[in-house]
Amino acid sequence: MRLRRFLLFVPAALLLVPFFLAPLFVIGTESFSGQQAPVGEYIKVVTDPGIRKVLYNTFFVALVVTICSLLIGYPVAYVLARLKGKMATIGLFLIFLPFWASTVIRSFAWMILLGRNGPVNSLLTGVGLIDDPIRFIDNGIGLMIAMTYIMVPFMVVPILNGLRAIDANLPRAAAVMGANPWRQFLAVTLPLSMPSIAVGCTIVFVTALGFFVTPSLLGGDRTVVSILISEQANRLLNWPLASALAIVVLLLTILVFALLRLSQLASRRRGKTQAGVLA
Amino acid sequence: MIGEKQLWSAWSRFLGSFVGAVLIGFLVPILVVVAVSFQSKSYLSFPPTDFSIRWYEQFLGNDDYRNAILNSIMIGGAAAALATIAGICTALAVVRAEVPARTIVSILSIAPAVLPQIVLAIGLFPISVWLGLQGTLGAVILAHAVVGLPFPFITVCGALSSYSNRMEIASMTLGANAFQTFRHITFPMIRAAVIAGFIFAFAASLDELVLALFLSSPSTRTLPLLLWEQLNFQVTPEIAAAATVILLVTSVLIVAATLLPRLGKGD
Amino acid sequence: MARSSQATGQMGVGGAAVSIRNLSKRYNNYNAVVATTIDIESGDFFAIIGPSGSGKSTLLGMIAGYIDPTAGQIVINGRDIVPEPIYRRNIGMVFQNYALFPHLTVAQNVGYPLKIRGVSSAEIAKRVGESLAMVRLDAFASRMPSELSGGQQQRVALARASIYKPSILLMDEPLGALDKNLRDEMQEEIKRFQQEMGVTVVYVTHDQQEAAFLADRIAIMRDGAMTQIGSPRQLYEQPNSRFVAEFLGEASIFPVKSASSKGDGQLQLIVLEDGTQVAIRSELDAGPGSFACIRPERATIGPKARSLRNAYTGTVRESLYTPGSIRYRVDLSGTGCSLKVRVLPQAAIDFLETGSLVDIGWSDDDMTILTE
Repeated sequence: MRLRRFLLFVPAALLLVPFFLAPLFVIGTESFSGQQAPVGEYIKVVTDPGIRKVLYNTFFVALVVTICSLLIGYPVAYVLARLKGKMATIGLFLIFLPFWASTVIRSFAWMILLGRNGPVNSLLTGVGLIDDPIRFIDNGIGLMIAMTYIMVPFMVVPILNGLRAIDANLPRAAAVMGANPWRQFLAVTLPLSMPSIAVGCTIVFVTALGFFVTPSLLGGDRTVVSILISEQANRLLNWPLASALAIVVLLLTILVFALLRLSQLASRRRGKTQAGVLA
Repeated sequence: MIGEKQLWSAWSRFLGSFVGAVLIGFLVPILVVVAVSFQSKSYLSFPPTDFSIRWYEQFLGNDDYRNAILNSIMIGGAAAALATIAGICTALAVVRAEVPARTIVSILSIAPAVLPQIVLAIGLFPISVWLGLQGTLGAVILAHAVVGLPFPFITVCGALSSYSNRMEIASMTLGANAFQTFRHITFPMIRAAVIAGFIFAFAASLDELVLALFLSSPSTRTLPLLLWEQLNFQVTPEIAAAATVILLVTSVLIVAATLLPRLGKGD
Repeated sequence: MARSSQATGQMGVGGAAVSIRNLSKRYNNYNAVVATTIDIESGDFFAIIGPSGSGKSTLLGMIAGYIDPTAGQIVINGRDIVPEPIYRRNIGMVFQNYALFPHLTVAQNVGYPLKIRGVSSAEIAKRVGESLAMVRLDAFASRMPSELSGGQQQRVALARASIYKPSILLMDEPLGALDKNLRDEMQEEIKRFQQEMGVTVVYVTHDQQEAAFLADRIAIMRDGAMTQIGSPRQLYEQPNSRFVAEFLGEASIFPVKSASSKGDGQLQLIVLEDGTQVAIRSELDAGPGSFACIRPERATIGPKARSLRNAYTGTVRESLYTPGSIRYRVDLSGTGCSLKVRVLPQAAIDFLETGSLVDIGWSDDDMTILTE
């Protein structure tokens, strides 16, 4: 009877053990099997200026994309959270429509939009803001625009859920006590939506760290770590270095999620002590 | 004199228009792809100066696309089915069966969705070679089943948590064993979540590029892989035509998927 | 008492004797139910009441089968059902929030246990029709549960739990989700239903009035153990502990300092903690550690009180008029005792204002001794 419950784990175990856990183990062992000393590949990751530049670039792009997604996503979620009925459905539908288009196609759309003779450059030169077309696709700005476009829905959904969970009477209570709309937002809505902001930022940042498609099409000279790993493995057949880089990405991902978890635990504990004081 | 109240309502109107503009603006890139697909020139120009469907004709006659679409559908369907079965079982174990190690199992079942796919690809390649799966549909199917697992797992967990296990207990006091209870009570109640999870897993497979890049051969090439290879080579209106068709088909699927469960609930 | 003879008169119509032997449930370091033994007669309406966390729902869960006992037996019709899975126990259960299957119609819900048992669809249709007629819901057969009111859902749950003639019917706070008026109506409904079916019912509630109205016998649980089992009258008039006296109805309770003699049914003199003397007749020994208890309607107020064995004067401290009764709190003059008193608001009775001086008294068999 009790043992039978564990049968429910079998299908997932058949998938995850050989095709998820084993690969991680393989990368782990591979990363220590380089020519130089066991940790030679890791030393190279830390010291090689080319690799360091790529890691820095990946981090920078992910950070900018996260901030831009938050700046666009928060107002969208805030307004959507206040809509009711049909308007809310339509709003969500509009946000999700591009979400369902494949990443390759959405990146392709930005290749057209931001191309040398694309509509954005035509518009800017037409208005007279610039004389020569901007090389969006090589300078990294195009990459960040396209990635932000792709990541905004990932930011909107958790924040929207967080905002909807806030008791509508709380901002009203602040208003009755004399807070104007801006101070209601600062004192009630924003702090209460912080946990969902943290979730949204974590998801966007981690996804952006691992992005491959968009950087490979729009990144130009600005390589990111996913592409570096792919090149090392596929073209240069340097599996130990590719694996070491993969491990670094993996650890970074775990670290970001661990930070999120810690912040959640801390805020929960704080909530408890506050409740204790009130009681 | 403008009153304070008017100022605030003006601000909230501004916020509303900003968000409206963002939502509409989000459609622009998609519409641009559709627009450039209907031109006759062999290089991309915007705005299009003429109307033609020659790139659609070329797309339809292109065997590479046909094979890639077939591969993608087969891989997506099989991967989503595997992911859904595993996701339902794991969700039942985690939410209902009070099995120990629930937390670690949940984390493991969600992890494939957040792990950068390049990491998994690097590790799966040697295993796929070792198992003799490299270059077959099977390799991509299994990899995509892993990546798809979190979606049905999360949706089914959500559905199971939305009602208490009293439903299942009630069914058992009425004489139904575990299997009958699943068939008559649990499954009908989570059906919408199962369908949604399947579709998400299918969509994830349709969109996945990196694993397919590492694990497939030219004969098992998927649609995103083909598009990506072509884009790396040259940007042509034929790709825009292909993208438009794909967008149309996915939109129909998604609309059907969102409407079907609601229609089911109505009767 | 007519009630129980009627129930036993229909013995065997689906009713079964339930015998719970040394049943216990332990969670880690916490005893939810400590070795409990109860015998429930066939056709009995047996209520279990107690404060939340007293273990009553755990006990019910063990009978139903979704909680595994740590030790003990549950014997129904001479067979221990503990080793059997839930779905083989042939027990009917009405859940707190009914647990109606939201995706099935009323008729499908009620017919579900028959379908599982492989009954033909024609037979299912016939018996569902009968069953719904019995709870007066024939017109609602094709509705979804969400389209019914709380009381109607409750009746569907009742029909579903009994259509397969279960050996016993368990009910877990079945009226908890209803408002007061509907609750009274449903109490009558449940009682009528049980008497017509003649089924043995085990009924868990935290509402003592509901239990007293419905049950032939009531068990009071506290901290996982049975404190007292008996008819509503026994529990009210002869509570065996301070907990029971306070849990079931109201009572004024005073600690005892000493007693003149043993409790042998003869008149004895008892000195309360504050020195007040009272005369009572009891079978129980009074003494340090025991309590003297009087129910509010047993005290008499007014001139008639002067002729009673225990007669005092007192001051009305609180007075409250409620529909159906007048409640007072009276401090006995020259003592530290304060009594709750309830009188019927009859035409001849004046409503006493706070501060009035009154005669108050009770006879020697109005007080009971509680041991604890």
